[in-house]
Amino acid sequence: MGLRPIFMHDQDILMSFTMMDLKINNKTHSVEVDPTMPLLWVIRDYVGLTGTKYGCGIAQCGACTVHLDGKAVRSCSIPVSAVANKNITTIEGLSANGTHPLQIAWQEEDVPQCGYCQAGQIMTAASLLKDHPNPTDEEIVAGMKGNLCRCGTYERIKKAIKRTVKK
Amino acid sequence: MNRRNFIVSSIAVGGGLLLKFENSLGANADSEIGNFLRVSSNGDVIFHFVKHEMGQGVSTAMAQIISEELCADWSRVKIDLPLADMKKYNANFDTGGSCTIIYQWDLLRQAGAMARQMLIQAAAQQWNTTPENCYAENHMVINRQSSRKIGFGQLASAAAKLNPPKEVKLKTSKEYNIIGKRKKAILVPEIVTGSLQYGIDVKLPGMLYAQIERCPVFKGKLKSFDATNALKVEGVKQVFTTKPIAGLQTLTPYMPHDIREGVVVVADSFWAAKKGREALIIEWDEGVNGNLSTEDFEKLAQQRAMHRTDPTGYTGDENAVSNVDHVRKTLRAQYVFPHQLHSCMEPLNCTAHANPDGCEIWMGSQAPNLIVTELARNFQWKEENIKVHLFTSGGGFGRRYYPDMAFEAAYISKIAGNIPVKMMWTREDEHRCNLGHMFQHMEYQAALDKDGKLYAWYEKELRTYTWAARYHDPALPTMAYEIPNVRFDFEDLIADELVHSSAWRGVIIHGRAYAECFVDEIAADQKKDPYEFRLSMLSKDRDVHVGDGNFLSSKRMRNVLMLACSKAGWGKPMSAGRGMGICLYPYGGSYVCTVAEITVTNEKVKVDRVTVALDCGLVINPLGVENQVTGGIVWSLTALFHGGMPIKNGRVMHSNFHQNKLLRMDECPEMEVHFVETNDEKPGGVGEISSPMAVPAVLNAIYAATGKRIRKVPISLQDIIPG
Repeated sequence: MGLRPIFMHDQDILMSFTMMDLKINNKTHSVEVDPTMPLLWVIRDYVGLTGTKYGCGIAQCGACTVHLDGKAVRSCSIPVSAVANKNITTIEGLSANGTHPLQIAWQEEDVPQCGYCQAGQIMTAASLLKDHPNPTDEEIVAGMKGNLCRCGTYERIKKAIKRTVKK
Repeated sequence: MNRRNFIVSSIAVGGGLLLKFENSLGANADSEIGNFLRVSSNGDVIFHFVKHEMGQGVSTAMAQIISEELCADWSRVKIDLPLADMKKYNANFDTGGSCTIIYQWDLLRQAGAMARQMLIQAAAQQWNTTPENCYAENHMVINRQSSRKIGFGQLASAAAKLNPPKEVKLKTSKEYNIIGKRKKAILVPEIVTGSLQYGIDVKLPGMLYAQIERCPVFKGKLKSFDATNALKVEGVKQVFTTKPIAGLQTLTPYMPHDIREGVVVVADSFWAAKKGREALIIEWDEGVNGNLSTEDFEKLAQQRAMHRTDPTGYTGDENAVSNVDHVRKTLRAQYVFPHQLHSCMEPLNCTAHANPDGCEIWMGSQAPNLIVTELARNFQWKEENIKVHLFTSGGGFGRRYYPDMAFEAAYISKIAGNIPVKMMWTREDEHRCNLGHMFQHMEYQAALDKDGKLYAWYEKELRTYTWAARYHDPALPTMAYEIPNVRFDFEDLIADELVHSSAWRGVIIHGRAYAECFVDEIAADQKKDPYEFRLSMLSKDRDVHVGDGNFLSSKRMRNVLMLACSKAGWGKPMSAGRGMGICLYPYGGSYVCTVAEITVTNEKVKVDRVTVALDCGLVINPLGVENQVTGGIVWSLTALFHGGMPIKNGRVMHSNFHQNKLLRMDECPEMEVHFVETNDEKPGGVGEISSPMAVPAVLNAIYAATGKRIRKVPISLQDIIPG
């Protein structure tokens, strides 16, 4: 008892850093990183955009949601090597000055409490509205249930999404 | 209390009026950071918010109180987080127990009114008139006779040269136009753009990242480790143990906490630190808990529940439950509320930069005061050499009251050579090596007399956590029902716990509110309607002493019960498989009744609707309170459906959200919050009030729908529909 198994392989340990160009919010960032590093950590620790949050690291909570060529993805579970030459959008790039209809609706409905999950919620909702410009309640729930909120703001998230549709 | 001696005024840097606390030594705090209210020359009002904002909305509610008395234009009010400074803020820093608004109420009103009066006085001087001839309204001072107006910004610097008034006149509740209004949380615009900085977002020049592989078993020890492979990972800088600071921290004045023994990996990125950890080879000595599991612990609690201890408190005859002269029937039930995880969406973290004499800390904390005293005590640093930079946090729920993260981070920074280090817990760390919500086992007994009346109530609580030691004063069950004989016993399980316990949103009420399930059991036994049964035991207006100096108003209990049931449509016909349940319980001077409406099918238990009626005294921000109450219901439903921290061979079995699930949008019921109208002139606390209440309400609804009693969470469909 006590000895823990080693999951690592030698090639992981010796994986050398790679120079990469990332296109984030219409700006190109050159980074030299371990290619297995999840996109989330490159965005946060190397590019310095901290609106995208770490929640679970296994694509269960949605706090790290960004858009990859317009589609919502969990940046904690995508190695950075997989996203070169793709358009990455984070919450900071969703709109100029926070004027995306969802960002406005989120304020009007007073959605956030602690706010930590909300960038991920908004990014997921923005992608949902692209697929379903006029979503039913069921489509909203199906699209949003992958995002956790410990403060329990789900009802207002629903209302805020509907508010953008009404307009 | 007369607070005015604590508040002094001065001229702000760049002009304007500053109000600040005077410290206990009488010296003025003279840097800008030490102040708590600033009226700038451009008219902005900046409220330096010294409590912790973790999503409960207190920053907004506190700003509302101070702005109300100031007569400010709400749109000009901003908030700011100062550096923690115990001397400047008179140790008013800790945030917990749903107490912030209750304790800050007088102070904030006083400060707002004082600033208002100084602005009025400055205007009067300018107009060569008396302050009585002037009044403040919507960010301006107005001359009653000439109707001339001057904005607060223009008056601020002149006001700063005046002495704060000795007496201030506070507004009456009829004059309120900010308090009681639905105000959106001040921080929301920063949240929706991703610009609000949490502790986890801190980045310092030259900062390294640290992670700790902690012992997976509580009270276990580090036997040995081999860092050879870890040090080969590109980006890994150092590996060392945290053994010297580990162990149960019981010398702290309150809130004892635990630091597990572990091995720390310091690296140039989060990812390299994680990879380095995975390459460590560690041998643990698992200690006394290494072969114990949740089942063993639950059995122990059950055994102890069987015997009586000396009562912690009682009314009437302490042995009434077994008084054969009166008792015709006894009922008995045991309820269990297991350990839980806080699961703050922002994982625990702390950034520290030690220096030879002290340390700087960057984190969101519910108790920065505890960080300062604990670091000073353990590292022999002077308190003034410990600086804590505060952030809002992505959920606290009691977990961020404990200073262990700061302890670990400060130690790592120091040993790594006084370099800045961001120490982060992964979500897996949070599951496997964390403090947990206390475990509670409740034993209930009821005795009915020959008329079927509830003659005696016996309640024994067993739990793994108390704030200090035991109940010092006589404590009774927290209920206002008319029962002639009531007894409460208590026993702690601290010595045998399998994880170190802590405060979790709602704290001890989660277990104790199970009393509402037992009330339901008694009603069912007597074939009485659960609503009518409760009402019949609240017929008189009484102030019921429940021990520890607390009184419960039976009238306010009755009011929330009646309002919730009327709004929920109690008594309406329900189809097969559907049911409603009630939970009526007070919380820290406020009163709440929760009615759950559910549907049970062969596939699942669905909570359709939850109706809450609330009496929390004067409501500062109805919108903020509604958010707290509905959020608390979601909290409660997570415990009901998914919670728990199952332990096998000393190790927590859940490692992340795929196993330890939180309620998701598809499980979230419709929720309504209704306020009882009161004439109360004082606010109560609401941050935790609903968080224990959906569990008893839904369990009672499950009984109404299916006839099945469930006495432990989390529930599973098999509990209700076997096979």
